[in-house]
Amino acid sequence: MQFQYSKFAVALLSAGILSSPAIANANDSNELEELRALVQELSQKVKIIERKDEINEEAAVAAKKESPVVKASANGFGLESADGKNSIKFSGLLQADYRSYQDGANDVRNRTNTRAGSLDANGFHDANDTALLRRIRPTIQGTLFGKYDFRFTPEFAGGSASAVDAYIDARLDPAFKIRAGKYKPFVGLERLQGGSDIKFVERSYVTNAILPNRDVGVSVYGDVFGDKLSYAVGVNNGVVDGGNATTGNEFDGSKEVTARLFATPFKDDANALSGLGFGIAGTYTNIDGERNLDFTNTSAADATRNGLPSYLTDGQQTFFRYGSASVADGKRSRITPQASYYYGPLGLITEYARVNQDVSLLTNTTSNAPSVIAANSSKTLSHDAWQVAVSYLLTGEDASFRGVKPKNNFDIDKGGWGAWELVARYSEINLDSDTFKNKNTGSFSTGTYANLSESAKSAKSWTAGVNWYLNQNAKVQLNYSHTSFDGGAGIGITAVNAAGTNIRDRQSENALLARFQVAF
Amino acid sequence: MKKSLLAIAVLAAALSFAAPITASAKDITLLNVSYDPTRELYQDFNAAFSKYWLAKTGDKVTVKASHGGSGKQARAIIDGLDADVATLALAYDVDQLHEKGKLIPKDWQKRLSHNSSPYTSTIVLLVRKGNPKGIKDWDDLVKPGISVITPNPKTSGGARWNYLAAWAFAQKKFGGDEAKTKEFVGKLLKNVPVLDTGARGSTTTFVERGIGDVLLAWENEAFLAQKELGVGKFEIIVPSLSILAEPPVTVVDKFAKKHGTEAVAKAYLDYLYTEEGQEIAAKNYYRPTLESVAKKYESQFPKVNLIKIDDAFGGWQKAQKTHFSDGGTFDQIYQK
Repeated sequence: MQFQYSKFAVALLSAGILSSPAIANANDSNELEELRALVQELSQKVKIIERKDEINEEAAVAAKKESPVVKASANGFGLESADGKNSIKFSGLLQADYRSYQDGANDVRNRTNTRAGSLDANGFHDANDTALLRRIRPTIQGTLFGKYDFRFTPEFAGGSASAVDAYIDARLDPAFKIRAGKYKPFVGLERLQGGSDIKFVERSYVTNAILPNRDVGVSVYGDVFGDKLSYAVGVNNGVVDGGNATTGNEFDGSKEVTARLFATPFKDDANALSGLGFGIAGTYTNIDGERNLDFTNTSAADATRNGLPSYLTDGQQTFFRYGSASVADGKRSRITPQASYYYGPLGLITEYARVNQDVSLLTNTTSNAPSVIAANSSKTLSHDAWQVAVSYLLTGEDASFRGVKPKNNFDIDKGGWGAWELVARYSEINLDSDTFKNKNTGSFSTGTYANLSESAKSAKSWTAGVNWYLNQNAKVQLNYSHTSFDGGAGIGITAVNAAGTNIRDRQSENALLARFQVAF
Repeated sequence: MKKSLLAIAVLAAALSFAAPITASAKDITLLNVSYDPTRELYQDFNAAFSKYWLAKTGDKVTVKASHGGSGKQARAIIDGLDADVATLALAYDVDQLHEKGKLIPKDWQKRLSHNSSPYTSTIVLLVRKGNPKGIKDWDDLVKPGISVITPNPKTSGGARWNYLAAWAFAQKKFGGDEAKTKEFVGKLLKNVPVLDTGARGSTTTFVERGIGDVLLAWENEAFLAQKELGVGKFEIIVPSLSILAEPPVTVVDKFAKKHGTEAVAKAYLDYLYTEEGQEIAAKNYYRPTLESVAKKYESQFPKVNLIKIDDAFGGWQKAQKTHFSDGGTFDQIYQK
């Protein structure tokens, strides 16, 4: 810029000098003096313009240091203060799913649903093909004073709005952080993976059926030993298996304690073990059974009012429900060893979870009527689940716990095909045999916690699929899932007999699950 | 053998006592937020103080310095630049640390002698070698065709001193006629082609960029330009009247307390008043307040008829409000 002004001045002066008739009389000292003064005057003017530019540039640089930074990228949109200590970011997740069932039922046997018509001869309704919006989650997150983070994520999918995440993080030290609000308890490995990063359309039985989803409370967590060991301990309201707490008051006063240790001892090495992580987590609470509530609501979507869950298949159909007289009544503990491994394009997650749940039976299940725990009906039931899931990126990207950033985005014009990944998983859940028997008599027909001719005792799922990452924001997933059951059906719609001789296995579920996702 | 054992025991005991002393030596960092032309002064002074403090306490002090227009620096401290000490161009800017930030007590100026100004200066005129435009006094600066370099009074403490010195001259010249005084200063400002944000920026404009016929400058800055930045290229013109500039210093109590540096910060400022500190100030062309040093450097500083801010303008608070606050005389007469 300065150079241009100088050149301009020289050109101007030259033009002036050459075109001036005064040049013809250069020996005239007065005119020479005038020319000298003119040159000096013009030189000063040019210098002043240059200096003003310089000052303006300095002012612009200084202003930039103090001006908030607007950020817009594939990672979201936001504002950040000049010192980077305060920021706010807007991001979102939208998942449009389609579920198609070749075989399968929509609920447990003999579960009437007038909107689905009459039960078939075996006491089931078919699982219905459906298109749905699985997740609609705009997110506002940010940081204040460089160390206090907040995140608010409402969920608009499912026909109503709720707060799926609403918490504050105080990052006081890398080894000592505090999270309070509604969040994913630090327990399950696959649960802690972001909803946009999961490798399958739906998570495994370990995550969806046994371990907590979201809870309200406070956790202390951090990374120690050079970030090679993560720890977390928390105190939360407590949720049923796979439960997602509401943001309201808890229905009982007992709290659920959570704890987790996860190690990545080779993370700083450059060898085949650097992507290995393993750990263990658990939860514990002790609640009294509900005595005076209406127990007709036993949906799995929320903390059920009898304190007990129902369980879903890989295709998201209910295959297990506790009987209406069953109620959580005492201790509930969970333990879950877990591991992940990433090496080049290969990824692996494996988890096991076991829940020990004290249950009792009620003498009265009438709506709005006081209930009483039946004498000698308490029992500790142990259910467990496990999964092994592998993924392999075909297009050369490295696998990780987070999402995939394709080496070449999908672009028809430029010839990019995005990233392609093959995935496969085996997952199963097994319920305690005592769930279906009378504690005192051994009968299958009366005094049981659940009915084996209606709810299955186990579900075993094979899932295979392909993930197509068009770019780091858009993903298409296709899963085929086969689930077989142990129990869960009977002969016709007749009730189970005491000896359990009319129990059959529920028909297998074969489902095609498809998803188109945008996350930013 | 026994004597050797005894000697080892004594040595070990001595070391065990000595060790904590060594271990207690601290590394201390101070931040001095100062105005524009004090770079060289505090570069020398910081080194001397670190040496002095190490010898006195065994603690290593590193003094970081930040320089800029005085008003701008005061605002930066109020906005969170956590200075341990502030050494600004004028008392009004330091007052703001109390009024806007509650960072220091109201009576901060009474904490150190000479109203917390360990050195003084004044405003002089710096012209090019041979004084080609024949500038002798403030009168000459309002003539058509004279290009005057001075920074912006809104951001620079030095510029406010310059403005008030010119105002005081005009006030005397016109017998207190405010309209004529305003007109005089207005004409002067009309001759200013570039307004830098700080005094050092104006020095750069005049000395390095070769713009202007005269620089209104701190005396110390004028000496620096004459003797070090452009040897033989400039001359100092002492006007018939100028103003006594008293740049004050203070510990920024709130931040020093937060850093645990209150004692060192106080010692740092106290050291400015010592003979060593005053020598360093004088060598950097600031007028010392310690009589013995002032006498020693008497010949270095020209005799100037100096007016005081309190006498001519009723103190900095009033001067600021009348001349430099939004809608003040500067805003009224300066045309961009």
